[in-house]
Amino acid sequence: MKSKNLSEFLFNPFTRIAGWQAFGIGLIFIALMGVIGTYANIIFDGVIDMHIEHETTLTHSFILLAIDIISLVFVMFVAGLFIAGKFRFVDILGTMTLSKAPFLLLAIVGFFTKMPDMSDVLKDPFIMLSSPSLVFLLLLSLPVILWSIALMYNGFKVSTGAKGTKLTITFITAVFVAEIISKVLIHFILKRL
Amino acid sequence: MLPTYCPGCHAQLKVKCMKCESCQTEVTGLYDLPVLALLPEVDQQFVLRFVKNSGSLKEMASKLKLSYPTVRNMLNEIISKLNSYEK
Repeated sequence: MKSKNLSEFLFNPFTRIAGWQAFGIGLIFIALMGVIGTYANIIFDGVIDMHIEHETTLTHSFILLAIDIISLVFVMFVAGLFIAGKFRFVDILGTMTLSKAPFLLLAIVGFFTKMPDMSDVLKDPFIMLSSPSLVFLLLLSLPVILWSIALMYNGFKVSTGAKGTKLTITFITAVFVAEIISKVLIHFILKRL
Repeated sequence: MLPTYCPGCHAQLKVKCMKCESCQTEVTGLYDLPVLALLPEVDQQFVLRFVKNSGSLKEMASKLKLSYPTVRNMLNEIISKLNSYEK
């Protein structure tokens, strides 16, 4: 019973938290990701992306995070309109924002990671393997991304009430579309700044 | 809990007999069960709570400690069950 509660807390908290409450909690995670990520030289440049970037700024980090959330929420809302009847925009907004929470783990681990010099990495990519903390960060990124996707899926499912194959196919398509839109927006918006 | 399905073949049961406890009169016939009685007990409890909360899903969600869309999805499930019974 306890493990069921834990798994529900980790992968589907949306049965208990949604709407503005989820959005508020999600924003706290996003703010921490932006601040810690900046000092850890980690940016979240896409709906399900994390990259190492030296000399990033708080403004840059928060613009990227804002683009991520807006792309994700917009695409999931439109996808929801295709497969579900009545549902609230605020539930999509809240659940999708909170779905990004696991990425905070990468920002925190990144803060304690010894990053090699990028010019050295370009000369010899295998130099990254000389930093165990960096290897750990890269290995950790996969389960964190999967965890975040699982949260997005459950958030989308709870918010729209959709189910079955239609839900799965629409969700997978929406994640890809949101990722592409976020990348395009990042490219165009950051080019103008 | 009122039995609504045949334990032998799982077909929907009907009411054959009702009895007055005061004068012992028995009324027999073949009556359909009310649609709400066909719902599982947990769904009947939900409908009862829903009515007692004046149909407010927000209040239901706060009392059940569940999110609003979860409670709305539960209600949608019940609606689709009722629709299937009525068919």
